Amino acid sequence: MSSSNPQSERPAAVGMTTFAAVILRTFLLAALWLAVTPATAHAHLVNTGFGPFYDGISHLFLSLDDLLAVLAMALLAGLGGSHHGRLTLFALAAAWLGAGLLGLEVARIEVSWPMASALSFLLVGLLVAINRDLPYLAVAALAITVGLLHGYLNGTAMSQIDGGTLALVGIAAAVFTIVALVAAFVTSLRAAWARVGVRVAGSWIAAIGLLMLGWAARSVG
Amino acid sequence: MIRYLAALVGLMLVTGPSWAHEVRPAYLELTQTAPDTFQAVWKVPGRGDTRLALSPVFPEQCVRATETRSLRTPGAVVDRWTLKCDGGLEGELRIAGLQMTLTDVMIRVVWASGDTQTALLQSTSPSVEVGKGDQSSTPLLGYLRLGVEHILLGIDHLLFVLGLLLIVKDRWVLFKTITSFTVAHSITLGIATLGYASAPLAPLNAAIALSILFLGPEIVRSWRGQTSFTIRHPWVVAFAFGLLHGFGFASGLTTLGLPAVEIPAALLLFNIGVEIGQIGFVLLVLALERSFHVLEVHWPRWAEVTPGYVVGSLGAYWTIQRTVMLFTGLS
Repeated sequence: MSSSNPQSERPAAVGMTTFAAVILRTFLLAALWLAVTPATAHAHLVNTGFGPFYDGISHLFLSLDDLLAVLAMALLAGLGGSHHGRLTLFALAAAWLGAGLLGLEVARIEVSWPMASALSFLLVGLLVAINRDLPYLAVAALAITVGLLHGYLNGTAMSQIDGGTLALVGIAAAVFTIVALVAAFVTSLRAAWARVGVRVAGSWIAAIGLLMLGWAARSVG
Repeated sequence: MIRYLAALVGLMLVTGPSWAHEVRPAYLELTQTAPDTFQAVWKVPGRGDTRLALSPVFPEQCVRATETRSLRTPGAVVDRWTLKCDGGLEGELRIAGLQMTLTDVMIRVVWASGDTQTALLQSTSPSVEVGKGDQSSTPLLGYLRLGVEHILLGIDHLLFVLGLLLIVKDRWVLFKTITSFTVAHSITLGIATLGYASAPLAPLNAAIALSILFLGPEIVRSWRGQTSFTIRHPWVVAFAFGLLHGFGFASGLTTLGLPAVEIPAALLLFNIGVEIGQIGFVLLVLALERSFHVLEVHWPRWAEVTPGYVVGSLGAYWTIQRTVMLFTGLS
């Protein structure tokens, strides 16, 4: 599980010194942290304040349009290979978090753009279905666009609750995890039928996008 | 790679102070002593003068017939009173404030006939219909869910497991280490739940924090290629500290004040729930590590060394915080 490195042959005495230094540093860091953190312990009682973090994770899994957008991007990235997957992994999560923080900061009310949201995963789902060989920069740009859109919408939604920042961190962590797992899984698929299965999944996502777009258009009309 | 994951998790954790058992459930027991009279026991997690802002709201025809007698116990406040319900206890029983917490509330109504009605209320379902005509069996799966929730929402337990994963070198050692941790915490979970032994919550939490702090330098040593007893025999350390964590897990059950008849099944299912949650977390970490390998993610040097410092720092922070609180509480 752990990686080795060339410093493994350093003398034991040096090892003990660094060990003590690590302990000292961690204590100093913790003491500093404790000093600058308000004494909220009693106020939190047995509630750690991590509720918003878990709220963020659940928000992603309960928001169909967000979840489908993440899944579609992960499938697309996985079909493109490890390079595409790697790029999407960081671009999507970073854009999501950044735009989320922006939305959190500037929004006074929750913003909802159902048509844009549905359109985003409709398009990405279509790209998965047709298995178009896209350059990695295009995939990265797409990931950033999707991340900015959904992240901003999430940010405005989270501005309505306490602990919105922590909730956004939870969302970004869930996005990162889903993309890593799904993109790596798709990348590792070699059988032709399995890749066809991925494209079928993309078509389903696109179909759901079309359906939601229709609903959104109807409600606007 | 796995180290970067740990760093991410750790960094998420530093955004706020953490407590070991934020999801300890509350417990409400109503025992029928006359057709319209019930003895109420309301046990809610608390510490010192502070308690979770939860309160039961009974059907309209029910009123408190006596003053509330409160007893502070380690980690909880127990209220007792008599409840009078004209026409019987029938209607919606709700827990006010539950929506704002991660806490569960176990409800148990014991009718004069000996029948019982139990329910597990959560933030998403803070009420239940009670009445003589609606006696359901004990929600055994509720204990299973409690166990899963207790470990997945118990950040410090997860961080300890993550620390072990960072030290362990191969899959066989990982299997031995996780098994040791499981066996150890199952022993103390059983002992504590059955009432043979108990550990006071405040020092226990400080000791659990210390176990995380202990792993920090070991992770750094492991990364540097140095060795130590912990790195050579991680399962021994996992077993030793697992005994401590087992007492921590037990708080998730003992806070309920379980009726004796339900303890064996509850203990078994709660423990299975904890193991399911723990195995799920380990598998998720391993799957992520594998994913990073497939995606050929190469982490920068700073990202590789960060987790050891993060685990150690969090452990130190919690150790100091809980030690301070321990003495503050004593004073």
